[in-house]
Amino acid sequence: MNTNHLLLNHLAVGYNGKALLCGIEIGVKRGEIVTLVGPNGSGKSTILKTLTRRLTPVDGEIFLAEEAASLKRLDRFSPSELARKMAVMLTGRLQTELMTCRDVAAMGRYPYTGRLGILSEEDERKVEEALAAVHAQHLADRPFDAVSDGERQRILLARAICQEPEIIVLDEPTSYLDIRHKLELLEILFRMSREQGITVVMSLHEIDLAMKLSDRIICVRDGKIFACGKPSDILSEEMIRRLYDLDPQLGRFDIKTGSLELSFMAKD
Amino acid sequence: MEMAQGPDHSRTKALRRTRYTAVFVTLAAAFVVMILLNINTGSVNIPVGRILKILFLRQGDANEVSIIWKIRMPRILQSAVLGGALALSGFLLQTFFGNPIAGPFVLGISSGAKMCVAIVMILLIGRFGAASSWALILAAFAGAMLSTAFILAVSRAVRHMAALLVAGIMIGYICSAVTEFLVTFAEDSDIVNLHGWSQGSFSGADWSGTGLAALIVGLSFAFVFLLAKPIGAYQMGEAYAQSMGVNIRRFRVQLIILSGVLSACVTAFAGPVSFVGIAVPFLVKRALGTSKPLVVIPAAFLGGAVFCMVSDLIARTAFSPTELNISTVTSVLGAPIVIYMLIRRSR
Repeated sequence: MNTNHLLLNHLAVGYNGKALLCGIEIGVKRGEIVTLVGPNGSGKSTILKTLTRRLTPVDGEIFLAEEAASLKRLDRFSPSELARKMAVMLTGRLQTELMTCRDVAAMGRYPYTGRLGILSEEDERKVEEALAAVHAQHLADRPFDAVSDGERQRILLARAICQEPEIIVLDEPTSYLDIRHKLELLEILFRMSREQGITVVMSLHEIDLAMKLSDRIICVRDGKIFACGKPSDILSEEMIRRLYDLDPQLGRFDIKTGSLELSFMAKD
Repeated sequence: MEMAQGPDHSRTKALRRTRYTAVFVTLAAAFVVMILLNINTGSVNIPVGRILKILFLRQGDANEVSIIWKIRMPRILQSAVLGGALALSGFLLQTFFGNPIAGPFVLGISSGAKMCVAIVMILLIGRFGAASSWALILAAFAGAMLSTAFILAVSRAVRHMAALLVAGIMIGYICSAVTEFLVTFAEDSDIVNLHGWSQGSFSGADWSGTGLAALIVGLSFAFVFLLAKPIGAYQMGEAYAQSMGVNIRRFRVQLIILSGVLSACVTAFAGPVSFVGIAVPFLVKRALGTSKPLVVIPAAFLGGAVFCMVSDLIARTAFSPTELNISTVTSVLGAPIVIYMLIRRSR
C-alpha cells in the first residue's frame, strides 16, 4: 500500500474566497502521523477546517482514498460516507448538558445508527471498546462537564474512535493538558496509527513533541508552507528560529534536547 | 480490573430506564388529572357522574352537554396541544442557538406572529366580518419568520448570546407596540376582542380551531421526533455535528421552520404565551436527568401540555368570574424558573 491516503493538490485555503495559505502540495500515506506546526494565526486551523469540509478550498483540491487504491475528491463524498472515514477532535470547550462521558463517546456511532439513532448491542460494545482504548471506562457514567480537561480530551478521542475512522483530524489536541495527559493522549494516537493504520493529521504547539512523534511535519508560516517533510530532514535550529521568528537574544530551541533555552537568563 | 464494566453498565442503563418511565408515568397521570379537574371546574357546577355520562354516552341536560362539549372540552384540548407546541418550539430554538434561555417569546418570535395576526384580523374582519383559522395561521407564520429572520441577521453580527436575547426582547417590544397601536385605533367591536387575544387566552377555543391546531401540531411533532438524531448531534456543536454527517444547512432550516410553525400555531389560536418554551424543557431535562432528544421531545410535549392546562385552570378559577390572561399565569409560574436557571448557570 504505497499509494496516498490523502492528497492535497495545489490547495489554497482561506475564508470567503480569500486565500490565507496557498500552494499546499502534500501526499499522506495510510497510517502516517502528519503534524502541522507554526506560529499562532499562521493558518493551521484553516487547513484542518478545509480538510474536514468546514471550509471549501479557495483553490486546488483534496483527494481522499475511497477504497484501497482509488482516490476520490473530498467534496464528492456524501456527508455520511465521509463521516465513516474521517473523525475530528477539536479544541475549544464543549458545552454539554446532562450528558455522561459515555453519552458523549456514543455520539461517535452517529454514522452507523438508524433513523432515530438508537444504539444496537454492537454499537454499545464499540463504545465500551473505545472507552477502554483511552483508559476511561471508570469515567463512563460521570457527567462530561464534571471531569477534568485531560479526561475530557480522552473522552472526545473515544468519541472519534467510535466513528471507526480511517483518518482522524485533531486541532491542537494537547492544549489544556499537563505533561502526563499529553503523553497518554499521544501514545493512544501513536498506537492507533501503527496498530490500526489510522492516518493522523493534527496541529501541535509543541514542536519538540511534533518532532519526535510525526512521520511528516508541515511548517506553516506567512501564507505558505514553509517546509514539509520528515522531521529529521527539515528541522534544524535555524529553521525553527525562522519559523517562529525567535529572537536569539531571548532564546533558542535546542534541537538535540528538544528544549527551549532561555538566553535572556544568562545575560548578566 | 479489565471488565467489571458489563454488569455495571447494564445497571446504569436500567436505572435510567426506570427514571424515564417514572417521569412519563407522572406526566401522563398529571395530564389525565388535569383534564378531569379542568372539565369539572367552571362557573356552572356539574357533578362528576353527569360529566362522565355526557362524555361517554352523550346523554344529559342539553345545557350541560353544550357546556362540556362546546366550551370546556375544546378549551382543555387546545391548551394541551398548544402548551405542548410551545415547549417543543422552545426546545428547538434552544437547540438552534445552543442556549437554554432561548424561546419563542423572549426572541420576539411570538410578538412578530402576534403583530401579523392583528394586521390580518383587522383587514379581514373589517372587510369580510370574519377571518379564517388558516389565514390567521399563515399570518402568524409569516410574522414568526419575520422576527426569526431579524434575529438570525443579528446573530450574524453578534456572537454574544446576551446581545441576541436583548435584540429579541427589543423586536418583541416593537411588534407589541405596533399591535397595541392597531388595536387602539381599530374601532370595530369585533376587533376589541383582539385586545383580549393579544394578551394571550385559550377562551376562544372551538372544535374546528382545536382540530386544526391538533393537526398542525401533531404533524410538526412527528417531524421533530424524526429529527431527534441530528438534534442530539447538534447539541455537541455545529462542527461535531457536521463531522458526523449532519447536513447542517438543511438541518438549521428544518429547525427554524418547525419552531416557527409551532409558535405561529400557538399565537394564531391563543395569542402570545410567555415562558412555557423555556421553563418546560428545562424542568423536563432535569427530571429525566438527560438531554437526549429522543426522550426529551415527547416528555417536553407532555410537560408543556400539563403546564398550560394547570395555567389555564388557574387563569379561569383564581379570580372567577374574572378570567386572567394565560400569560399572566405562565409568567408567574415560568419567570422564577428562568431566573433560577440564570443564577445556576452563572455559578
